Amino acid sequence: MGTVLHAQGLVKSFAKVRAVDGIDLSIGMGERVGLLGPNGAGKTTTLLMLLGAITPDEGSISLAGHELPRGRSAAMSEVAFVAGYLPLPERLRVREALSLFAGFYGMDRRTGDAAVAAGLERFGVTHLADRMCMELSSGQRTLVGIVKAVLCKPILLVLDEPTASLDPDVAYRVRQGLLDVAAEDGTSLLVTSHNMIEVERLCTRVVFLAGGRVVADGSPTEVAQAFGHGDLEGVFLHLAGTVIGEDQLMEVGPLPDEEVRS
Amino acid sequence: MTAPAASTSRPTFSWLRVRTVVRRHNYVLWRSPERWFDIIIFPLFDVLLWGSLGAFVAQENDVSRASTPYLLAGIMVFHILFQSQIAVSTGFMEETWSRNLLNMMTTPLREIEYVVGLAAYGFIKLAAAMTMVSVTAFALYRFGLGEVGWGLVPIAGLLVVIGWSMAMMVVGMLLRFGQSAQILAWATTFLILAISGVFNPVEAIPGVLQPIARNLPTTHVFTAARALLDGRPMPWGELGQGAIGAVVFAALAVAFVTHMLATFRKRGYVTRYS
Repeated sequence: MGTVLHAQGLVKSFAKVRAVDGIDLSIGMGERVGLLGPNGAGKTTTLLMLLGAITPDEGSISLAGHELPRGRSAAMSEVAFVAGYLPLPERLRVREALSLFAGFYGMDRRTGDAAVAAGLERFGVTHLADRMCMELSSGQRTLVGIVKAVLCKPILLVLDEPTASLDPDVAYRVRQGLLDVAAEDGTSLLVTSHNMIEVERLCTRVVFLAGGRVVADGSPTEVAQAFGHGDLEGVFLHLAGTVIGEDQLMEVGPLPDEEVRS
Repeated sequence: MTAPAASTSRPTFSWLRVRTVVRRHNYVLWRSPERWFDIIIFPLFDVLLWGSLGAFVAQENDVSRASTPYLLAGIMVFHILFQSQIAVSTGFMEETWSRNLLNMMTTPLREIEYVVGLAAYGFIKLAAAMTMVSVTAFALYRFGLGEVGWGLVPIAGLLVVIGWSMAMMVVGMLLRFGQSAQILAWATTFLILAISGVFNPVEAIPGVLQPIARNLPTTHVFTAARALLDGRPMPWGELGQGAIGAVVFAALAVAFVTHMLATFRKRGYVTRYS
């Protein structure tokens, strides 16, 4: 199995706070990985470094076979990003906004418009095509965001809190859409979420961060068992309840029998 | 599981992505009536203000050089600088207002393509604004910039380069200091208006400011424009000094915005806009 992402020794500090403290992460083709951890664990900082939006203090990143930061543009033609909190340009119609992103992905107008129409249909949101982006509900915005992300047929789809604040039925549609993309296109997923049930349904592997470090890495079942809990919710609560510092990290990890890896 | 060998291919420049940036800002302009203030309303008011002032001065003292053509030519040439600068600055600000920066940064779009796209769209806005001032000045005061002659071409070229450079400085400040730096987009050009002798020789500026004025490339370009309006031969000396200053300023602006972009990525300031 080839890798779509290989990051080694990532370190990032903001002022005196070490947000990310030596993270190694590899994702294979077709893997669906959940990047989990309590608030302040370093998830979003890690994602933004992996996407080239933040420069790490130390470490190296190879994304879609391109070394960052030099290969960022080439890498991002095969990697897409969706965040539940990120709106599309508000003064544009959905069709126009998506057509622009198709252009950024290197499609000419005709190819891009065809890809947009196909994407909207695939996710059942063709009726939103002529709506202004500012008029979309958060669920519609997320679905359109996923349409935007899959325009380039990415080999890796990075999602930051994709279903945050969505109703359960909309969250289900989003989750199902992501699973379809992964199954049909072979797209790898890297997802952050605070919804552990969702992660168990969506991901084949989870990586738990605490204090900017990887403290667990394996299948949801393996990680839950390694921490002595029945599910990921228990692991999450365990980590969130731990005051993260050098001593506490020793309490939390490493996992029994080294790290559990898929 | 092993990582594939990292690619070392050079990043490629895409005109398609540049055209997409132009298309993006064209949509914004047609959906945002307030954006027409910069290219229709401000130029119209400026022509009215300075044209009327010039007409009044001419009535009071018809030998004065500060009459309608002089003031109108000044404000019209100034608008070349203003429009070049404000189109690029507000284009970038649009991404911050619509919280679109992270969306753009996570596509293959390269910074140089984005800037070229903004500058290209700036040309379209510049053409619209200059059409507005030209038509208004001719309709109301029977004045056309054609009186300056072909010398207007290098003058306009230098002002466009200086305007883009000023915009790069503003974008750099926005990257570093966030949206509070937006006021600089408008403030910097009006500072230049005040101390570059747009309507008057450097000698008319307060003595303490004259050394600053003499070192600004804009001062030499505006001085050259006035010389042409007076019917004198092409002032190559002034244009040459203006060109050298413009090149130095452009190099400084590119270095500044590149450094600020590195700082922006290093300190994770993108989260301010997401």
